[in-house]
Amino acid sequence: MIMFSHLSSAMSVIGDFTGSFRWFPESASSFAADIDWLFGFISLICILFFIPIAYALFYFAYKYHKPKGEPAESDAAHNTPLELAWSILPSFFLVGMFVFGAKAYLDHRTVPDGANDIGVQAFKWGWTFDYGGGTFNRELHLLVNEPTKLSMRSSDVIHSLFVPAFRAKKDVVPGRYNYMWFKPTLASEKVSQDELDLAIRTTEEGGGDWDYDRWQFTKDGYRFFDLYCTEYCGKDHSMMQTVVVVHETAEDLNAWIEKYSRRDPNMKLEDYGKTLYEQRGCKGCHSIDGSKRVGPSFVESFGNQRPLASGESSVADENYLRESILNPKAKVVAGYQPVMPSYKGQLSDDDINSIVEYLKSISQYAPKGDAKPAATSAAAPDAAN
Amino acid sequence: MAAGTIASDVQVRDPGFPTASENYLTNSKGVLSWMFTLDHKRIGVMYLIGVVSAFAVAGILALMIRLHLFRPDGALFTGPEANNWYNQVFTLHGAIMVFLFIIPSVPAALGNFLVPIMLGAKDVAFPRLNLCSFYLWVVGAIFFICALMASGLDTGWTFYTPYSTTTDTSVILATSGAFILGFSSIFTGLNFIVTINTMRPPGMTWFRMPLFLWATYSTSIIQVLATPVLGITLLLLIAERAFHIGIFDPEYNGDPVTFQHFFWFYSHPAVYIMILPAFGIISDLISVHSHKRIFGYRFIAYSSIAIALLGFLVWGHHMFTAGMGSLTTIIFSALTFTVSVPSAIKVFNWLATMYKGSISLTTPMCYAMSFIFLFTIGGLTGLHLGTLATDQHLHDTYFVVAHFHYVMVGGTLVAFLGGVFHWWPKMFGKMYSELGGQISAVIVFLGFNLTFLPQFVLGSRGMPRRYATYDPEFAWLHQMSTYGSLLLGIGLLVALIVLLQSLFRGKPAPANPWGGATLEWHCTSPPPFYNFERPPAVGDPYDFSDLRWDEANERYVSIVPDRKLVPDDHPHSVPAHAQGHH
Repeated sequence: MIMFSHLSSAMSVIGDFTGSFRWFPESASSFAADIDWLFGFISLICILFFIPIAYALFYFAYKYHKPKGEPAESDAAHNTPLELAWSILPSFFLVGMFVFGAKAYLDHRTVPDGANDIGVQAFKWGWTFDYGGGTFNRELHLLVNEPTKLSMRSSDVIHSLFVPAFRAKKDVVPGRYNYMWFKPTLASEKVSQDELDLAIRTTEEGGGDWDYDRWQFTKDGYRFFDLYCTEYCGKDHSMMQTVVVVHETAEDLNAWIEKYSRRDPNMKLEDYGKTLYEQRGCKGCHSIDGSKRVGPSFVESFGNQRPLASGESSVADENYLRESILNPKAKVVAGYQPVMPSYKGQLSDDDINSIVEYLKSISQYAPKGDAKPAATSAAAPDAAN
Repeated sequence: MAAGTIASDVQVRDPGFPTASENYLTNSKGVLSWMFTLDHKRIGVMYLIGVVSAFAVAGILALMIRLHLFRPDGALFTGPEANNWYNQVFTLHGAIMVFLFIIPSVPAALGNFLVPIMLGAKDVAFPRLNLCSFYLWVVGAIFFICALMASGLDTGWTFYTPYSTTTDTSVILATSGAFILGFSSIFTGLNFIVTINTMRPPGMTWFRMPLFLWATYSTSIIQVLATPVLGITLLLLIAERAFHIGIFDPEYNGDPVTFQHFFWFYSHPAVYIMILPAFGIISDLISVHSHKRIFGYRFIAYSSIAIALLGFLVWGHHMFTAGMGSLTTIIFSALTFTVSVPSAIKVFNWLATMYKGSISLTTPMCYAMSFIFLFTIGGLTGLHLGTLATDQHLHDTYFVVAHFHYVMVGGTLVAFLGGVFHWWPKMFGKMYSELGGQISAVIVFLGFNLTFLPQFVLGSRGMPRRYATYDPEFAWLHQMSTYGSLLLGIGLLVALIVLLQSLFRGKPAPANPWGGATLEWHCTSPPPFYNFERPPAVGDPYDFSDLRWDEANERYVSIVPDRKLVPDDHPHSVPAHAQGHH
């Protein structure tokens, strides 16, 4: 917005007061400049009003502080021109804020033609981004300077997708699609290979999950922007965070997508199943140490007899697990609420197979030794597309 | 003549002190005489005890929230259920503060005590309904306690669907409690509307009412018109939970955003239920303690009504990111800006009232000045949120938390404290330690700012609200906020101690300790159970010209103007028309 630029000198007044103090996270989208400018403009007007008000408040209290019993110096009851002036004049500032705000808002709501479309599925408590072609990931990867539209739906309750560095936010409401768009303007840096190796080694030795807060880069070595859920959605609302990585080139982004699009044919099904367990949201509700969370634990579940909420019971075999992934409310284990969302359309056949194999690998009830050899199912990923 | 001495030949009017059998606190004894009382003053006192207890509970919950947020991964609650604990604590903090404290605080506690006395009346129009509304408040509070005892509540005070229809906590108990509290609120509002409409004494026209009554009247209109919508919404929510009727839950073809519309259609006007009575208190406090006529009476009175009406049209600004159509969103933004004008008018009028006044920096005045400072910040930061583009960034972050705490705590709570300190001598007939009160006002002011100023920065840097844990880069701002909350807690404790101490050690209060001109200062402190022996003469509520400070007795008295009796004692022996002929 070029029309705003001549006011930028006024903004330096605020800059003098605040010095190097940062009010905002870094600016990484095309919205950031407008919104930061508007925030500064409103703040400046607020300060222009607030300082005289506060000054008058304390100065009058000092100046007209009198011992009890002294009469007031004036008995003025009203002054209509003055009152009309201070009722009407601030309205011009308000109109200005409204107009600037509404115009920038319309920019936010108008998706440019040809924007890249990424699907978003929000669930308790995580995000799945759909890059098309059966590629799903919990991290949001974008291309710098390319407008990107997010088509968002929720599996359970209301969530809200917020990227502070992009100054963009939209609720994700179950039962409807909400959309948002932005154009990232700042590419994520890549850390050195040494730094990345150290982090990967430390994580493997520690045996825990990837600690984004500690390393401040992803396990592919990219710096990132935070992505938060900002609509309260239950117990782990504050854990419903993920990262946004902005790639410098389309090749780089495509290479990343390719890497995560499917199982590496040399990877064992159960290992890939473990990856899916960690990345696709199973982990939030299903433990692998036997503890009870929102859903039943995965350990020792395969092949086990399960009492169901309906009063019947069922053996957790391959078909039961597949049904529970695609239609979770059909057979709910006794003692649990039917709250799991369906993963229909979000997991390929090979993905489901991998998860089932992973569950077999951590259950003593699973028949040992007769798992399908990895070689025979190597063709499955292609078939799944 | 020096200020503070009253010439001996001036006739003064002062009602003196009540006898024990007249004093409303002591004229009948025993628990039952309180439980079944129809005296609006006793009901007001019971409400005061009730809302202050609720405030204490919710305040302790607030401290727990702040202590937990001292560290990024949570300091207070530990273990696998830590986040659950945090969610329950912030939900109950909000629900108890809103439904049990802020909404009934000024209207029900102070309003009950003051409305009839300010009208020179004996009681409210419907004393039994008044007692009923108090007991409904108690029942509502019990429901909340039951919810807490049963399986807690973790929906946030807003009960957003479909989370509230799927969580396994006591949503039905808590919403039933809120439903009952709604009736309590409606009854109080109805009572005040009828009382103010029908029981004003001869001579008290609408524009000779104290501004506290204007504010109470506007508040009552909102209570009567908006609260039923909340009742219906909560009933529908219960029905959705119990019978899956399919209004709010998308799984049964409902729309969760419909709930937000219904909920905020009440809850936004409810924000004005919370703040309008505070405006009324501050108008009276500033004028009385500046000993100067309120500036722009009509603008203040009309702006209360304007806020009450405009407040019904702006609920959509709670849903700027929920996915409403762009046109709807823009219209709600425009309407939101209109409601900021009447609030600004009031601030300017209060400052103009102080200009060239004779200001006494008493405890109530300290709180009133604190209110103007804090409420101005709260109001101005609302502009960032009403502006659509900046709201896209700030919505549901700590910026919003800081903004509404500046309005609700810096505004309503501080005004409530100012009002309690102002009318305490009238309610209980005791003077408190002025120094202690002033110290409490200063500590509350500093503690409050230290708690909530950092939260504006947290919000603009992107910290979402309702987070049990957070990223480490936000830690130092959260820690400042936690230190501030402890200081705020100390300030409030000092205020409580000062007031309680006065009950036991305080000097007896004169009828008019501050120099107020409204009718409540015309009866004794505390008032007799019948309020006024005969209907008081109604004057201008903001005319302080015939009030004099009596230093010897530490009280203000009204001087009775010198009256010349006409005709004289001895009539002329000759008729007037005949006198010229002599």
